[in-house]
Amino acid sequence: MSAFLQVVIAGLVTGSLYGLLTLGIVLIYRTTGVLNFAYGAIASLCACFMYILLTGPRLNFWIALVLTLLFSLLLGIVLERGFARPVLHAPVFTKAIATLALALVLETIAQAIWPQLAEVQHFSTPFEGQALHLGGVYLSAIDIVILVVTASLMLVLNLFLMHTRMGIAMRAMADNIPATRLMGASVGRIFMLVWALSSFLAAICGILLAGQSNLINVQFMDPILLPAFIGAVLGGLDSLPGSLIGGILVGLVSNLLAYFLAGHMLGAVDMSNPAIRDTLIFVGFVIVLLIRPQGLRGRALLRRV
Amino acid sequence: MTQKPAVDQELAPDVVAQPELTGKKTLGGRLASQRVWLGCIAGILALILLPMLSDLIFGGSSDFQLHHISLIGIFILAALAQNILTGYAAQPSLGNAAFFGVSAYVLTWLSSDLGQPYWIGILAAVVVSALLGLIVGTPALRISGAHLAVATLGLVTTVGALLNFWDTTAGRQNYDLSNLPDFLNDDRTLYYFIFAIVVCLLFLSYHLLHSRVGRAWIAIRDNETAAEAFGINLTKYKLQAFVISAAMTGLAGSLYATWATTASSSMSSADQTIAFLAMIVVGGLGSLTGSILGAIFVGFLPLLLGQLPSPMVIGSFQLQISTLITGIYGLLLLLVLIFFPSGLSSLGTQAGNWLQRKPSKGGTE
Amino acid sequence: MTEVVPARSLLEIHKLTVRFGGLVAINELDLQIAEGEIFALVGPNGAGKTTVLNCISGLIKPAAGNIQFEGRELLSLPAHKRASLGIGRTFQQLQLFSSMTVLDNLLTARHTQLQAGILSGMLPFGRSKREDAHARQQAMETLTLLGLESYAQRRAGSLPFGAQKLIGVARALVLHPRLVLLDEPAAGVPPQEVQELATRLRFWQKELGTTLLLIEHNMRLVQAVADRVCVLDYGSKLAEGDPKTVLSDPAVLEAYLGRGASKAVQQEGVSHVEG
Repeated sequence: MSAFLQVVIAGLVTGSLYGLLTLGIVLIYRTTGVLNFAYGAIASLCACFMYILLTGPRLNFWIALVLTLLFSLLLGIVLERGFARPVLHAPVFTKAIATLALALVLETIAQAIWPQLAEVQHFSTPFEGQALHLGGVYLSAIDIVILVVTASLMLVLNLFLMHTRMGIAMRAMADNIPATRLMGASVGRIFMLVWALSSFLAAICGILLAGQSNLINVQFMDPILLPAFIGAVLGGLDSLPGSLIGGILVGLVSNLLAYFLAGHMLGAVDMSNPAIRDTLIFVGFVIVLLIRPQGLRGRALLRRV
Repeated sequence: MTQKPAVDQELAPDVVAQPELTGKKTLGGRLASQRVWLGCIAGILALILLPMLSDLIFGGSSDFQLHHISLIGIFILAALAQNILTGYAAQPSLGNAAFFGVSAYVLTWLSSDLGQPYWIGILAAVVVSALLGLIVGTPALRISGAHLAVATLGLVTTVGALLNFWDTTAGRQNYDLSNLPDFLNDDRTLYYFIFAIVVCLLFLSYHLLHSRVGRAWIAIRDNETAAEAFGINLTKYKLQAFVISAAMTGLAGSLYATWATTASSSMSSADQTIAFLAMIVVGGLGSLTGSILGAIFVGFLPLLLGQLPSPMVIGSFQLQISTLITGIYGLLLLLVLIFFPSGLSSLGTQAGNWLQRKPSKGGTE
Repeated sequence: MTEVVPARSLLEIHKLTVRFGGLVAINELDLQIAEGEIFALVGPNGAGKTTVLNCISGLIKPAAGNIQFEGRELLSLPAHKRASLGIGRTFQQLQLFSSMTVLDNLLTARHTQLQAGILSGMLPFGRSKREDAHARQQAMETLTLLGLESYAQRRAGSLPFGAQKLIGVARALVLHPRLVLLDEPAAGVPPQEVQELATRLRFWQKELGTTLLLIEHNMRLVQAVADRVCVLDYGSKLAEGDPKTVLSDPAVLEAYLGRGASKAVQQEGVSHVEG
């Protein structure tokens, strides 16, 4: 039983990381129509930046963290101005391709300025090696941090979107840009804020993931980008709580599958291989999409003629 | 969801002709088809003469260069396949790399492991790809836009992971293709073989895209509602596009395995998807010439950058050339998307329009 | 013009009901359209006129009712099969295949009358080329009939609005359809050209033997061409009959111009109502 509970908690932790990513993905998609495949690269760039601060000038962890978060905000603004704005009126598919290209560019830049990060490096945090034992369940300090950070970020983000002028305008924009223009909110400023906010979320997710595995390289976010996107689509791509739930669901299912498949062989096939797990998740995702094309809780779209 | 690219003006240059010149069989139309024919003949002649030219320029390394140029032929097939699906039938699928990888493995498995003749292997690879296209296309039609992009990209990475898993399970480092017919081991005959296929398929595709089927695809791209109201079975034609595209990508994939004499799981990866998309976006969506230009562009880039020393040192930065190549792909793709959204193939006509002070206007939509 | 009761119905709409969410867009509508007549559907914006056309061409599935075309039930047919029965249409927002040439637009409209599939389409000879050549000839004839032949090789999306409008009509007529659905043919047409448009509509009806079902806000056009008129308001039939009687009906004026305003308005006042 406690082993199972352990798996569920691990699933929630993984799910929270996915959820942070899905949140940023959906935030950008809803407001600017950009399906951001460069999101993993943004997260990894920020985490790499922090690694450099920690190892190069040997800054204190917390100072490096604050600088990295500031860097992520700046990065978001730069990307909005330099990338999102020029392609704003392109069709959604073109924008999606453009983000794939952006991901390549960001990764190349990272590798060019930090060649040591082409290889896997050790990413240390103050939480390393600390853990909590609660009635047979083992909780590492970083896992607790991940859960707490995700929950509090959700709370703050929710308050921001529900109760501040900017947040309300942002939500309005997710539905309809012209209406927001009429309300007098500056669309440009909202776009900038959305990109800054979502790269802030990406940075946090990247740092937490690097902190959890204590490993980092330029491409370390690549494997979790697809699960995050699957979570985002399952959440319907149209609601922030939905996307978080979608992300958590994928994390949970992934860990449960790993638990149940461990040690099983199907003929000569080792079922515990991550490739099998990812395939099962993907197949499940496609089946869900076929049954509910609009995602688990997304709204069906009316077709206008 | 998808871009509405300019019509393939390269292949129908008479669309900007003066009204009084057009009619049932006009001077403009005849000149246009003559131009297309002349272009085709010139292209084929150039392809035949290229090996001799290569001998003159490169001497001893000529075969090596030809080998690399053959890759561009394979890319043309892949770009054509992606363009039919995305540029013509407007299906935003990122999944073609999966067929590219699977077909290479099917060919290698049949040929190397089961000892079947090469031709059976190629045929099986194409058929399997077409079937996979049908299997992927059927649900894909029910999933739209952004969801489809995510699902198909997921397909590519999942298939790549499975192929890699197969390699690991079978305990092999490389999956080498053996039992090739002799003439395919020779760089020069391989070159002729690949380009003969490319020319054939370009020819067939040109006619297909200008037939009832091609018009149905373009109609779906331009206006799905009107297409349906005029009796076009959307499901059928989208599915046909998926199957044709998958079969053609399968052919490209098995030729790639032949070219590299090995199958690799990285053929079904996000990077491969980006390469295919880069070809059609840089070349021009919905344009045959665009597919060719895009493939040449993507194929030549590593050839050119390969001349640079690796790793390259700029000040305190140093870069592996292979990394630089992907970065430059990305950057060029971005620049093209921002500044020339209709691709290289439209540049010629745009320049022509500008010279004649006839700016090409988009439709009232 | 005076034939009020149709001798033989080409299209029969029976108790058609369409709902969007909770909103009833069409409410138990009955319509009979006779072979060879010009029938106008008028009414304020949002009355559900285009919805009726969309039901006929299959772009919307009604909640209830049935539509029979030459005695054949339409609603059980998928949209793409209805065109082949001989129903052509135009759209309010044109909806041309804008990247194609005008000629290809017309060839595409003849899709259901051609057979070539992938294999024959790939070949430079054979059935595909033969039937395309024939279809091209017929398309040119239609373009010539409408005086559009000079546009044949132009890109549809690059033409001026008025020309695009006519090409939309040509695309509907190239099938030699039994019934043509016209969604606001006069919208965007300069007032001085409306009379010409009326002549054209009459000409198509006579020359091609086509039945026309048109939606129109321009009452001058409706009065000039329509054999019969039906006024829709909030998805229900408000009045039906010959144009003169129906368009001077106070209830109709009220629906168009709002309560109270109708009394002050002369017959000429409604001659050009734009929603």
